[in-house]
Amino acid sequence: MSSCNIYAMVDPEIFAAVQEQIESDSQVKEDIREALKKIDKEVRSITSTLSRVHIIPPEHVIDLTTTADEPIKRLRDGIQGLIDIVKDYPYYKYNGIWSRDIQNVAFLVLFQAWLQRSYAPGNAENSLLTIEEVGDVLGVPVNLKNEDKFHLTIEEYLHAVLSLVEELTRLTTNAVTQHDFLRPQMINRFIKDIHSSFQVLNLKNDTLRRRGDALKYNVKKVEEVNYDLILRNLIPTGADEKKEEGLKEDAKEPPEQQK
Amino acid sequence: MATSQRSQEPQRPKKGLTQEQQNNPYMSMFNHFRDELDEHHDRRERVIKASRDITALSKKMIFTLQRARDPFSPLPASLNKEYEMRFKQIQEIISCVSPDLQDISTYRYARQITGGIQEYTEAIAFHYYLATGKLIPLSAVQESVKSLIEITPGDYILGIFDLVGEMMRFSITMIATRGDADKDEKVAKALRDLRELRLEFEGLDTSTTLGGESGLLGKEVHKKLGVMKTCVEKVEAAVCGVIVRGSERPKGWIPDLTGATGGGGGTMDRVDEGE
Repeated sequence: MSSCNIYAMVDPEIFAAVQEQIESDSQVKEDIREALKKIDKEVRSITSTLSRVHIIPPEHVIDLTTTADEPIKRLRDGIQGLIDIVKDYPYYKYNGIWSRDIQNVAFLVLFQAWLQRSYAPGNAENSLLTIEEVGDVLGVPVNLKNEDKFHLTIEEYLHAVLSLVEELTRLTTNAVTQHDFLRPQMINRFIKDIHSSFQVLNLKNDTLRRRGDALKYNVKKVEEVNYDLILRNLIPTGADEKKEEGLKEDAKEPPEQQK
Repeated sequence: MATSQRSQEPQRPKKGLTQEQQNNPYMSMFNHFRDELDEHHDRRERVIKASRDITALSKKMIFTLQRARDPFSPLPASLNKEYEMRFKQIQEIISCVSPDLQDISTYRYARQITGGIQEYTEAIAFHYYLATGKLIPLSAVQESVKSLIEITPGDYILGIFDLVGEMMRFSITMIATRGDADKDEKVAKALRDLRELRLEFEGLDTSTTLGGESGLLGKEVHKKLGVMKTCVEKVEAAVCGVIVRGSERPKGWIPDLTGATGGGGGTMDRVDEGE
């Protein structure tokens, strides 16, 4: 038995090396979380700024959105801080830690742009920023496939789009309380477009799929508001009425899809 | 892929769809997303399939190795032939899946491939142990797959956790089949090695890093740690039993471990690490 060491199975260096890796790995994760705290702080402040859209009159919304410009610039810096920490590691190694935060950030960018475009006089047709435009605002590349670098993924962008839909659904109700009957119509059309766009995706059974499936409830809710407005002649033009008529047919579709 | 899309289409009026598509400013962007996501899902499926195949073949390699009777010496030719055949098959799968796991994809699909890699590590490590009596280093596992895929420290350690289970089964079989286990130097070495591994595993810092779901080794590690301890204790109990009652040992008798006793390797399946 004294000859134990000659027979020893484990070279202690093996486990020492593993221990070292565990430690450096947890250090990186800690640094990432630290960087995310800064981002989250900005996210919270922008969220509370933009959420005021639910309670202010429509003519003040454009002014409101410009007050978010500065904090969004700071978000850019926050993300740069995160990139500095993770740029030396494979992107997907730690992506799971910040993915949710980046989704929130992308949502705020989409929300601000939607409000700016939709409340501007003579509002633009296309009120959704593309993934590239969101990337530009945040100063990050998007959907990188061959380069192992920090970027905004398609999934993260789609989650942000879904968050936007949820926020706008709430805005529909609140716009009516402001006697703003234009926004419900715009939101109605917008959410329908997003809903039918999501139909072309082949989603796997994941969180994106579950949230995407819930889109139909948002469509339904906004439709109901619009329907009530039309019924009481609160939406004036005949052309719109016709359009809404067509959309009403679609309203039957969500329950069917549920099965 | 195409079928799942088709199943959604008939639920909507055909005319409405085309109209909608024409007026929908986001449709082309989403069509692009679909292609990108499909590509990603296809790749993911291929990796999952490869992982399963590698797991199955690795298990067969392990079964082959469990049939060896004399550890710490070269494998008998027939077993070696079987082992090498499986090994070659695994190499082929790895070289097929390798393009899907390069560059940015290495970690993107890490969670899909890790099961196969762990099982493979376990098989390779078991082979290495039976031949040399030593624990295979990570570098040797990596070498065995060349640089086709990356073996991460996490994959490696989780594979070694499972190795303890195989060593346990092998030791129990040795005790049952070799006779005079109380004086058998090889049984003594196997027990020493198991204890040594246990000490090393317990020596890893489990306070924060190893423990949580976010640790390097993920959430599996706590369960594996428990199973590993049980495995070591089973062999300790078996050796103890042989020494205490060894002189009374009738031929073919092995110590009572978990109620599931028997002489052959087959029955040992029930004394598996899952219990």
